Amino acid sequence: INGKNSDVVCVMSPAGCSHVSGFKVDNWKQNLRLIYQCFVWSGSVETRKRKVTLNSMHQSPVPVLFFSHSAIDLLYGGIYCFVCQDYIYDKEMEQIAKEEQRKAWKLQEFSKTSGIGEKYSMWEPTKRELELLRHNPKRRKITANCTIGLRGLINLGNTCFMNCIVQALTHTPLLRDFFLSDRHKCEMQSNSCLVCEMSQLFQEFYSGHRSPHIPFRLLHLVWTHARHLAGYEQQDAHEFLIAALDVLHRHCKGDDNGKKANNPNHCSCIIDQIFTGGLQSDVTCQVCHGVSTTIDPFWDISLDLPGSSTPFWPLSPGSDGSVVNGDSHPSGATTLTDCLRRFTRPEHLGSSAKIKCSGCHSYQESTKQLTMKRLPIVACFHLKRFEHSAKLRRKITTYVSFPLELDMTPFMASSKESRMNGQYQQPVDSLNNDNKYSLFAVVNHQGTLESGHYTTFIRQHKDQWFKCDDAIITKASIKDVLDSEGYLLFYHKQFLEYE
Amino acid sequence: MKMEDMSLSGLDNTKLEALAHDVYSDLVEDACLGLCFEVHRAVKQGYFFLDETDQESMKDFEIVDQPGVDIFGQVYNQWKNKECVCPNCSRSIAASRFAPHLEKCLGMGRNSSRIANRRIASSNNTSKSESDQEDNDDINDNDWSYGSEKKAKKRKSEKNPNSPRRSKSLKHKNGELSSNINPDLYKYNYSSGISYETLGPEELRSILTTQCGVISEHTKKMCTRSMLPDSETMLENDGYDAPDGQLIMSRLQWDGSSDISPSDSASSKASINNSESKRPKKKNKPSTLTLTTTGGGGERDKGQERERVVGGGSGSSNAQNALGLSIRKKRPKLPIPPAPSIYDDLN
Repeated sequence: INGKNSDVVCVMSPAGCSHVSGFKVDNWKQNLRLIYQCFVWSGSVETRKRKVTLNSMHQSPVPVLFFSHSAIDLLYGGIYCFVCQDYIYDKEMEQIAKEEQRKAWKLQEFSKTSGIGEKYSMWEPTKRELELLRHNPKRRKITANCTIGLRGLINLGNTCFMNCIVQALTHTPLLRDFFLSDRHKCEMQSNSCLVCEMSQLFQEFYSGHRSPHIPFRLLHLVWTHARHLAGYEQQDAHEFLIAALDVLHRHCKGDDNGKKANNPNHCSCIIDQIFTGGLQSDVTCQVCHGVSTTIDPFWDISLDLPGSSTPFWPLSPGSDGSVVNGDSHPSGATTLTDCLRRFTRPEHLGSSAKIKCSGCHSYQESTKQLTMKRLPIVACFHLKRFEHSAKLRRKITTYVSFPLELDMTPFMASSKESRMNGQYQQPVDSLNNDNKYSLFAVVNHQGTLESGHYTTFIRQHKDQWFKCDDAIITKASIKDVLDSEGYLLFYHKQFLEYE
Repeated sequence: MKMEDMSLSGLDNTKLEALAHDVYSDLVEDACLGLCFEVHRAVKQGYFFLDETDQESMKDFEIVDQPGVDIFGQVYNQWKNKECVCPNCSRSIAASRFAPHLEKCLGMGRNSSRIANRRIASSNNTSKSESDQEDNDDINDNDWSYGSEKKAKKRKSEKNPNSPRRSKSLKHKNGELSSNINPDLYKYNYSSGISYETLGPEELRSILTTQCGVISEHTKKMCTRSMLPDSETMLENDGYDAPDGQLIMSRLQWDGSSDISPSDSASSKASINNSESKRPKKKNKPSTLTLTTTGGGGERDKGQERERVVGGGSGSSNAQNALGLSIRKKRPKLPIPPAPSIYDDLN
């Protein structure tokens, strides 16, 4: 677009100009709307076709509609002033543009089906906010080598079981994003909403404060709403995690008195969206081979370990422990994958545990198998290090190696077929990213069954790891993390799809 | 070339590739142009450079990686004097002693209900001094054992006899509440110390219609799980259920109606080793304890056996907190109203 040289100085207020007043006559608003609807943001198929035709016919690099002193770029709807020789941003005209854009967006098919009602638009400061921001140049910005988002937690008296879980939750990316964008709308009448407290917790973590936070209100709320946990005694971090998720889930519905909210499967609260997966259980009658399938929701997977009183190896029923289908007792350490294979293996229920088969109309022996029907966005693995059988109470300290990246495909319900044929090593479909996970938090327990201490490793800024030991946060290496014993392992899906 | 006349089927590969390339270039150019407009607008509106961090702040928040200090550059273990205000009784409590305080303050400890029961039992008596002593939440919490009432070891009270907490009587269960206590806290009844032999028929009925009531062999405590279905109820998957001879059935469609909450920890119940999948219960063996500090419960735990996983932490050392309970703190002053400033219009 070539403009003439001009000596006229353009007055902008703030980024608009006075020259467009020539345009703003008569029914200019309606005209502008028409222009936008026909040429720029076209909702219907016909208008889109027309736009494409125009596009193919234009001479200039971008299609433009010319007026006396200005022009409208038909690609993005920008207004160019020939006198100013620049694009200008007029408040009134932009308002109209925004409205037309929104209308067209809603007309599109994908908007209706995907539920994405609005085009995402970034935050822009108002004139007032601009002034304030200029007046206050100090910024708290999260950069790569920045402490913002990290904070210690005071131990309130044997409460490290709570602190370690809080650290894991505050470093769960999706959860963090949910709370930092202020998405919780509280419907609870009283002051005792745990989700609100969680929101406050994120504010504390991102406040830039260096002194550790005192989570006394959180403890009070959790003990109020999860009575079975209450009591000043050393407690189990895993149990706290489940209780906390449960209360958060209930409070997300705005339920005032904590009565058990609806069906967990119908819930669309942020907790369910992030943490809830589906575990499929198939019981197969050995006689008629009929299968009974049930699917239950889960927030965590508890895995048995070698070293407990129940034998861990062999992983497959009927094998004698030697090499069968590639799952022999390895010389190296037990891996998380081993534990998952064992968890999802078909198990003979034995003659003492016959199930009534509706096909056979009698009690028959059967096998049972668990697989993942639906994976949560955040998968939590609980290594069962604490044995509570009748005679034994002890901690199992067997080292279990766990990876930074995990592919859950072999443990899916859909992978059962190939596993039955003995293929444990499936070719990894590199294009299918649905089941790929990255480690982001590890909770460790040091000490004995009676008395011990919890700490958490968390991941921040992609590849920086930190150790959270109550009030003390220090930098950690990936090696520190992977060499640790591991009690609760938190993995996050790598790729998120719209549903 | 009119758009309507074009048909892709008649074109060979080269032409198709050229077309594809054209389309792709157009898209890339349009995207670049869009970005240019965004930047231009941001500069013109004045917010493009607004989020640049100032040097000072960048230094402030830089991660420190040195031995002996945390990432903020702070020396370890300097947080011993932190305090907080109890949401229940509004007293100022040392942070590292808050958990044991809260347990008693909410009346949730193993022995709080015993204290409460005593209070009820003695409320008909006129002995004020006895109930005062029972009110003392620093009483050594002996384990209560079924069928006998061991007297708690009395400890020297450090409490100010005029402490506001004295006037709070933790009334007995079933809905009678002290006005200062949040009703929500008493959804579940006191957990321990109830002997069926000492309860009258009315009390028994009211307890057993609202709670489970089973007395554990080990702990001698009564289960106070509410009779209402709740998330703690374990639902067992007992195998076949298929009506009409259907061999394959989804009892719980994923998108349908499962009665089970994820908090039932389906995976741990479903795990193969059944003996481990039981939820570990707290186990308290009766024993005599001597408390050597006035701070309360921190060290008592170590003498007892625990079944469940424990993780407490280093914060339980409480010698330095002995003073925390006896000092009355003044309420913090109200903040001074801010001077007029450019921020006024934001409120």
